[in-house]
Amino acid sequence: MADPTPSEPAPASVLWAVIGTLGVIGLAIVLLTAPGEALLGPGQHAIRGALHGTAAGLFMVTSTIGLFQAYRLFTKTTWNMAELQVGSLINAAIALLTILSGNWIYIPYRAAAGPRSYFLQQAPDVHKVFFEFKEFAALFTFPLAVVVAYLLIRYGDEMYRRRALSTIVAVLLVLAFFYFVIAFGLGAAVTKLKSV
Amino acid sequence: MTKRSPTSLLTTGPAAAALMAVGLGLLTLGLSQVLSEASVSFKSMMQALGNLWIPGAADIGPYSGKETVALLTWLLSWAVLHVILKKREVNLVIAATATFILIGLATTMLWPPMTELLVHH
Repeated sequence: MADPTPSEPAPASVLWAVIGTLGVIGLAIVLLTAPGEALLGPGQHAIRGALHGTAAGLFMVTSTIGLFQAYRLFTKTTWNMAELQVGSLINAAIALLTILSGNWIYIPYRAAAGPRSYFLQQAPDVHKVFFEFKEFAALFTFPLAVVVAYLLIRYGDEMYRRRALSTIVAVLLVLAFFYFVIAFGLGAAVTKLKSV
Repeated sequence: MTKRSPTSLLTTGPAAAALMAVGLGLLTLGLSQVLSEASVSFKSMMQALGNLWIPGAADIGPYSGKETVALLTWLLSWAVLHVILKKREVNLVIAATATFILIGLATTMLWPPMTELLVHH
């Protein structure tokens, strides 16, 4: 008796190929025609600002995911260890990128006619209190994110059996998010007042 | 502290080492900021240290040196503590509590009004 279900080639790979091709064509059109420099702005240090802003924006996403993972670790809700490990590595890498790009944009911030000079003349507390605290708070995020990744990778599924360890990792993720939010919020506020 | 884990689980020493190293690194960051504000020569030393390896360090000031000492303390203390504790079973609650206290102290030292208070006393 013949098979009642006709055999068809698996459509998934064909669909992905079509979507990928359309995506590449669309991206090429945008890159060739969009006035991208208009989005960067007129400043001499626009690329640094865009890079740091993008890194910080990505870090907002990954550290927020980290916060959600912290909740799952703390409540011992079922978790996927591979997902936690990969997520924590990405979080640490983006923390580093954000700090490195922050160092790069700190140069025009401190330049003779940069925002630092402006704030010291017009509103010294903006620099002396808020910006100085922001620049240090940002540095907390990297070692916190690295130790989370290290513990998740080294101990892996032992987290299920070690309540203290999973709780500590959860607290570290919350701390990383906390220091990131301080740095991000103050950075955004300072940029709004005077950008590089 | 005992030498071996009572079960087949990995020992907790490496976790304690990693935790406490973060606390020590961040505490060093806080101390370097207070000392920089208190001493011009220490601030110059921080600048010189940053100049050794960070591109553009001259333009970001002594912040580069403070980053450097914090990074060195974090990584070196992690390596040393790891070697000392790697085969030991350590109470992680105590190690984490110590770490969180160090992070709290570092944060307090780095809050500029507190830095100023510490420098003037």
